[in-house]
Amino acid sequence: MDILTGLMHGFAVALQPANLLWCFVGVLLGTVVGVMPGLGPPATIAMLLPLTFLMNPAGAMIMLAGIYYGAKYGGSTTSILLNVPGESASVVTCLDGYAMARKGRAGAALGIAAIASFVAGTVGVVGLMLVAPPLAKVALAFSAPEYFSLMALGLAMVVLLAGRSMLKALLAMLVGLWISGIGTDPFSTTSRFTFGRLELLSGIDFVVVAIGVFALGEVLACMETRAEGQALPVPRGLRNLLPTVQDLKDCRFAFVNGSVLGFLIGVLPGAGSTIASFISYGVEKAVSRRPEEFGKGAVEGVAAPEGANNSETGGALVPLLTLGIPGSGTTAVLLAALVLWGFKPGPLFISENPGLFWGLVASMYIGNVMLLVLNLPLVPLFAQVLRTPGYVLYPLILGISIVGVYSVSGSLFDVSLVVAFGLLGYVMRKLDYPAAPLILGLVLGGGMERALRQSLMMSQGDLAILVTRPICAALLAAAVLILFVPLFNKLNAWRLQALE
Amino acid sequence: MKLRIVSAAAALLAALGGLHSPAQGQGFKPTRAVEAVVHTGPGGGSDVLARAVALMMEKEKLLPVRMQVVNKPGGNGAVAAAYLAEKKGDQNTIGFFTGVWLTGPLTSSEAKVTLRDLTPIARLVLEPAVIAVKSDAPYKSLQDFVAAAKKSPGQLKQSGGSVTSRDNIVRQLLQKHTGAQWAYISFPGGGERIAALLGGHVNMMVIEPAEAGEHIRAGNMRVLAQVSEKRLPGFPNVPTLKEAGFDIPAVPQVRGVVAPPAIPKENVAYWDDVFQKLTKTASWQKFLADNQFEDGYQNAADLAKFYDEFTGRMRGILQEAGIKLVR
Repeated sequence: MDILTGLMHGFAVALQPANLLWCFVGVLLGTVVGVMPGLGPPATIAMLLPLTFLMNPAGAMIMLAGIYYGAKYGGSTTSILLNVPGESASVVTCLDGYAMARKGRAGAALGIAAIASFVAGTVGVVGLMLVAPPLAKVALAFSAPEYFSLMALGLAMVVLLAGRSMLKALLAMLVGLWISGIGTDPFSTTSRFTFGRLELLSGIDFVVVAIGVFALGEVLACMETRAEGQALPVPRGLRNLLPTVQDLKDCRFAFVNGSVLGFLIGVLPGAGSTIASFISYGVEKAVSRRPEEFGKGAVEGVAAPEGANNSETGGALVPLLTLGIPGSGTTAVLLAALVLWGFKPGPLFISENPGLFWGLVASMYIGNVMLLVLNLPLVPLFAQVLRTPGYVLYPLILGISIVGVYSVSGSLFDVSLVVAFGLLGYVMRKLDYPAAPLILGLVLGGGMERALRQSLMMSQGDLAILVTRPICAALLAAAVLILFVPLFNKLNAWRLQALE
Repeated sequence: MKLRIVSAAAALLAALGGLHSPAQGQGFKPTRAVEAVVHTGPGGGSDVLARAVALMMEKEKLLPVRMQVVNKPGGNGAVAAAYLAEKKGDQNTIGFFTGVWLTGPLTSSEAKVTLRDLTPIARLVLEPAVIAVKSDAPYKSLQDFVAAAKKSPGQLKQSGGSVTSRDNIVRQLLQKHTGAQWAYISFPGGGERIAALLGGHVNMMVIEPAEAGEHIRAGNMRVLAQVSEKRLPGFPNVPTLKEAGFDIPAVPQVRGVVAPPAIPKENVAYWDDVFQKLTKTASWQKFLADNQFEDGYQNAADLAKFYDEFTGRMRGILQEAGIKLVR
């Protein structure tokens, strides 16, 4: 079907009052789920599945997708305000988002996150609409060796996340990689570092570590100061609650970078939004004219990852709808939903269900507008959270964190783990070890190990497979280039000094 | 499309009209929402089956309470099995098992709970499979593939799940039967396996018939043989393994229901009755047909016998494959 007629048809479906309502319900629920740490979109969608059988499939699909991309909007809120990542893809947002909040620019950070989400979310839908089928074919060119190189590229970003000491960043990353190895070996199914504990067989959930190291570590560190009154400076006046024109100008490239990288990485079934957000943050910092501002409250450091994790949703729907191949937890549940509704997701799905596909696409345009309208007015309201005095706010963060972890697994063992990681986060802070490399290692470790071992199975143990495949070699070359960025920056600084 | 939805809804309503007598257990009835434990995350095979069963229970009014799916992923089923064992005597919990609950404890020393320690309720489904290649592959039959594998040992590749999964067991059986050798690349997600085949990174895979169906219709895949005792209705022209000249057992993926240890006899009788009724409903038959599953229903007593037979068979196959067994 012609794209324009398809889209017209889609809007006819999406603008039906019932479907508009479902779209709104979906994005609202998504925002709430995103704001709450712990409970994520896959579990929420799975819980709502029984309800969707009373709805027509178009409305149900529109609502469930709304939860999916809505959660990406909400995820940044607690990252920025409380240093508690609401979703795994919002961990990177903590770095500069929370730093902005500490400078009294929480409103601007929240506003930029919403705007970046809107821009990139919309770009993601445009991509889904225009290039889905051909792009899905290109994505199939990626297999284990390419995923390994992509993740190696992500891991190379560690040199950009380092603070004063490169050595400390690398050590933190190694600890993250080690934690990712805990659990069951993905191939031989033998257990590693489980110390006979059954709870550790499934590995340590990323959420547990992120909440422990970021949120609890922050709470413990702040408790030392015994500050009376407000924990963080509260922005005053409407002007300070929203991003300035200068902020928007600074983010021009971040919007493009986040949108495009997020979408492209989303299309790859084996990557995921957390990797997308880390890579676009790294790229943003690598090309920035003021890389020294990153981690201290650079507005681009919020815009790039928040954009990337939103356009990733549009990308992730590409292999799902054009090939019936799910790439992430959420798309796997959406696939299950389609099957239970009686559809046959696969290569012919779009051509045989144009109403559903175009209705979904149109609803995503509408949903993104709804989310912007919903989220921007909430900015001043959310920013008021910072007015809360420290002795109320920190116990609150503690409570939210522990409830969040418990809601994911329902296991008290995980609660004790989160406390342990909180202590680790505190010690790391005291000794000036950066937390982000640890998370990076943890996110990428499992996938990298799997991809490398799969590659070696393919090549019968020959490492040459990583350099003889063109895409793979190009990604590895990019990873090496990234490793040289700090060196280049240093050389440049010397050159400038010499000139003076 | 609207028409399709309407006709689907009509079919569903017709199906619902048939049966709606609530299950009558003697004495026992669940008093609060039933927890259905599965070993996959949301969207995995067991998770989808459990959610489908929960829906059918509601539609056919077989349970007086709701059924809630609880995901306990990890350790190839070990975490979910141990969780059920911990719920000893709990009357409102059941679990959905698969073959890995039987094979897992054979290879992992941490997986201390075997199906033997839980209370058998019912076997529900036997999932057949088909052996598929990409449509532009040179192999027109399984014989072609095996001949090519013999010509260059270890060069051809198959994508599949973990080493104890049915995919690998079928490969081991075929290799042993023919003397051919090809590599096995394990992908944890079902989607990645298909992507690897469609992208030309592997040469062959063992895939569920319903999943393969769409890719065949779109002209992306070709089926060489079916891992099934008799030809599936969806593949009338494709030979079974035996018909193709490979006299090996057609290992099915088995799925069923268990309860925690030490629950009263009358509870077992109640669940036995509920699942027996479920498998007789029209919605269940439609579900089986849609997914091209075989009706694998066995009651609680027969299921216990099945465990031993199946575990014994798998032990032999895994040993042959050179996989280290711990019990």
